[in-house]
Amino acid sequence: MATQALDRELKKGSAELLILSLIERRARHGYEISKLIAARSQGTLTFQVASLYPLLYRLEGRGWILGRWVEKAGERRRRFYRLTPAGRKVLAAQRLGWQKFAEAMRRITGVKYA
Amino acid sequence: MPDWKAIVRQRLASLHLNGAREAEIIEELAQDLEDRYSELRAHGASEAEAQRLAQEVLGQSELLAEELRRRDRPPFEPAGPFSGIRQDLRLAFRNMRSRPMFSFLVIGMLALGIGGNAAIFSIFNGMFLRPLPFRESSRLVDLDETAPKWNLKYVGISNADFYAWRKQNSTFDAMAFFKRHGFDLSGFGATQRVQGALVTRDMLKVLGLQPVLGRNFSLQEDSPHGAKVILLSYGLWERLFQRSRDVLGRVVKLSGESYAVVGVLPREAVFPDQMELWAPLAAGPNDSTGWYLSGVGRLKHGVSIQQAQADLLRVHQVTPLNGNKITSPVVAPLRDRYLGDFRIVSRVLLSAVAIVLLIACVNIAALMMVRASSRVREIAIRTAIGASRGRIIRQLLTEMLTMAALGGAAGVALGYAFLRGLLALMPADEMPQWLSFPMDARFAAFCVLITCGAAILSGLLPALAASRVDTGSCLQETGTRVSLSRGSRRTLSGLVVCEISLALMLLISAALLIQAFHKVLHVDPGFRPENVVTFDIDLPEASYGKPEQKLAFFHSLLEQLRNIPGVQSAGAASAPPLGGHWGNFFQAEGASPLGARDENPVVLQVVTTPGYFDAIGMTFLAGRAFDEHDNALRVGPDGFTAIKGPLVAIVSETFARRYWPVGNAVGKRIRHNADNAPWITVTGVVKDEKHYGLDQETRPAAYFPHGETVFSAMSIVLRGSIDPQMLAAPARDVLRRLDQGIAMYDVHTMTDRLNESMWARRAYSWLLSAFAIVALALAAAGIYGVISYAVSRRTHEIGIRMALGARPDQVLRSILASGMTLVAAGVATGLTATLFAARLLETLLFGVSSRDALIYGGVIVGVSGVCLLANFVPARRAAAVDPMRALRTE
Repeated sequence: MATQALDRELKKGSAELLILSLIERRARHGYEISKLIAARSQGTLTFQVASLYPLLYRLEGRGWILGRWVEKAGERRRRFYRLTPAGRKVLAAQRLGWQKFAEAMRRITGVKYA
Repeated sequence: MPDWKAIVRQRLASLHLNGAREAEIIEELAQDLEDRYSELRAHGASEAEAQRLAQEVLGQSELLAEELRRRDRPPFEPAGPFSGIRQDLRLAFRNMRSRPMFSFLVIGMLALGIGGNAAIFSIFNGMFLRPLPFRESSRLVDLDETAPKWNLKYVGISNADFYAWRKQNSTFDAMAFFKRHGFDLSGFGATQRVQGALVTRDMLKVLGLQPVLGRNFSLQEDSPHGAKVILLSYGLWERLFQRSRDVLGRVVKLSGESYAVVGVLPREAVFPDQMELWAPLAAGPNDSTGWYLSGVGRLKHGVSIQQAQADLLRVHQVTPLNGNKITSPVVAPLRDRYLGDFRIVSRVLLSAVAIVLLIACVNIAALMMVRASSRVREIAIRTAIGASRGRIIRQLLTEMLTMAALGGAAGVALGYAFLRGLLALMPADEMPQWLSFPMDARFAAFCVLITCGAAILSGLLPALAASRVDTGSCLQETGTRVSLSRGSRRTLSGLVVCEISLALMLLISAALLIQAFHKVLHVDPGFRPENVVTFDIDLPEASYGKPEQKLAFFHSLLEQLRNIPGVQSAGAASAPPLGGHWGNFFQAEGASPLGARDENPVVLQVVTTPGYFDAIGMTFLAGRAFDEHDNALRVGPDGFTAIKGPLVAIVSETFARRYWPVGNAVGKRIRHNADNAPWITVTGVVKDEKHYGLDQETRPAAYFPHGETVFSAMSIVLRGSIDPQMLAAPARDVLRRLDQGIAMYDVHTMTDRLNESMWARRAYSWLLSAFAIVALALAAAGIYGVISYAVSRRTHEIGIRMALGARPDQVLRSILASGMTLVAAGVATGLTATLFAARLLETLLFGVSSRDALIYGGVIVGVSGVCLLANFVPARRAAAVDPMRALRTE
């Protein structure tokens, strides 16, 4: 099942890469992040709340992302996460690592990635 | 719309997150669910469906809980040398809690060992390591003169010598000389005795101190016939004058004379020991008072004791007034002079407690190894999933260190209590006032050091053995069958052998000391101490200046004391047994003359009144005691120079044997060591008294009537038919009726004096015995543990053997044999070690050889017996094995 697979991935760290990438350009709140993952993966990857938020807190604890409550007129306040400079470095490193990994997988399995 | 916050809060309740954090998480999660719900509704889902779908994404609460809990842990750290310490600690505590009995045993044994060490070390520290409480105290030295030819280690310093040394030395910044001198202080309630010192004015300079009030003695005051002035000690200033600053210039009546207070000493002036005031020595260089002074000097920077000694020797040899070449100066570290006797004792005790701790460590190591065998699987699993050998060793050591830290903390507390107990054993007046036994930095360092040492000693071997686990075979075997490797078993046996040999060594040492103590207790003191009370009085020169006044006073005092109901006999002596030494040299008529190289032994000279020998209970071997006729005044106004005969003396058996090896001494004559001295006829010979203590050597002694040498300070000896304590009060009344201005001091029963003289021997003998018994108990527990373990591991094998026909007694014998082999090895090594170690004890022994066969044999039998018993219990358990059951359990 896709969710279980993703939960395993979460533990291995690839989910970190997903989250860091999604907030690279702009700050987003948790629900937005999970919706984006579901939408961009066309439903292949979905996050359980139980996995997403603890992961966000963990990344925040490591100083890679920073959460902040933001209030907008007429709405309830939400917690927005943005990338810290440290997070930016980690993202760059993880991206490079992932590319190498994907390239290696491609060479061995002959599967083409988009 | 559902209350999302309430739903989330309920899910997170079990997490116990902290308040603020919890509120934020709840808010954020509720917000997420609400968004989802709203979107689902917007897409046309029913209310119930939307709620169900939204709630579903919350997932299983356990997962959320676990994820959040993980979030609460500290972020991952890169692997450094200290990474995982927290984990090790956590594991250590968990393991300790899982086996409370085992942990308690280990911590208890460590506490016992460390406590003993802490207490004894703090005594050693206070005596020998802490600097004395004076500025640059390492430069302070004791000064004295020695006279081996007189059979005297220390004779004291003469006036002529101290003047010469002080003037001509080139190695001292300052030197001071002093003697103890008591005073009867009147004018502050009842007349009381105060202990004072006559000192030269350099004393403050030597000690590096300044008066807190007033000034030091002037040069004029410290010269013959100088003004009578005193410096008060801080304590006396407080006691008499409530620290009033008006004390300067006040006149104090001491032994009937007026002294003006010129200053107050600081609290730090604790040398000379236990002095309440100082007066100037005011001695002239030509006063021929013999050797009587103590000395203390401050060395110049960079001068060694040897250099100072050579310097004084050079001065000493050219001193014209130094008539004989028998005495020579001795310079020694100040501490050694006053505590030298305790150095060996404290070393012996320190080694003994160290051995107890060592045995405790060995025991713990054995316990840990046995315990490790039940953890072999745990270790194997951890090795299999990638823990390195170093990591495993570290984990086991951390565990040991944690227990050691707890044991150490408990041990220090125990040690403190133990130290208080020990200090209470020390009679206050036997210990210099400048000693203190605080728990200082050195003490703390020592405790940390032995705790770590104990942890490593008891943890390293088992950890090494355990880390050598063969992962594969361990995981394949079933849990119960896992046992120690052959190497570990051999180590375990080695530890037990070690324990037994150490315990044997301690027990033999303790037995030797106890035997010595027993021998001392049974020494014939030469007098009968029971039912005797003694006290001192000192007649003031001011009102009792003439010899006949003194004689008359003592005569009527003793007469009246004899009338007290319950007093059997009364007498007085210048020095009763254990009451100090006053020595002189004698020639004996008809004795073979001394060769040039013969030593002329110093003779103990005691001045006595009629009735003294009776009161103290000495035995006459020949002749008779002094009567009132002997005690008539025979000297001139100085109290010493004989003017009219006949002079008489009583000598001790050692004296008689020394000078007249054959024949009867009674009727023979002796004289002081000068050719013009008058002859003195010996009227009696008494049995030797142990004047310096039961375990001290006996010197020849001579006793003279008070009328021949008129002392003003005498010890009164009362023998009662009732409890001698009861005699002190009526005696005080008698004295007060005769003269209110005379203090009665140093009141003791003779039994107390004797006991007190042996306090150190008693204390260290019993201490060492206590250590030895603890050691034996620990060693026995060790053997019991190891053999029990072996038996429990061999149950299966024993079952097979019995199934094949072995009888229970054969099993019993075989188990006993394996245990007793270890005991025999332990006894053999212990014996060898003891033969060497006992030499350290030799100076402490008395009347018993350090190789006393009976004691060695007795202890070996005792140790073997205790070990046999410890061995027997598990062996019988083995013999009672039911073969069927043993085989079925496998």
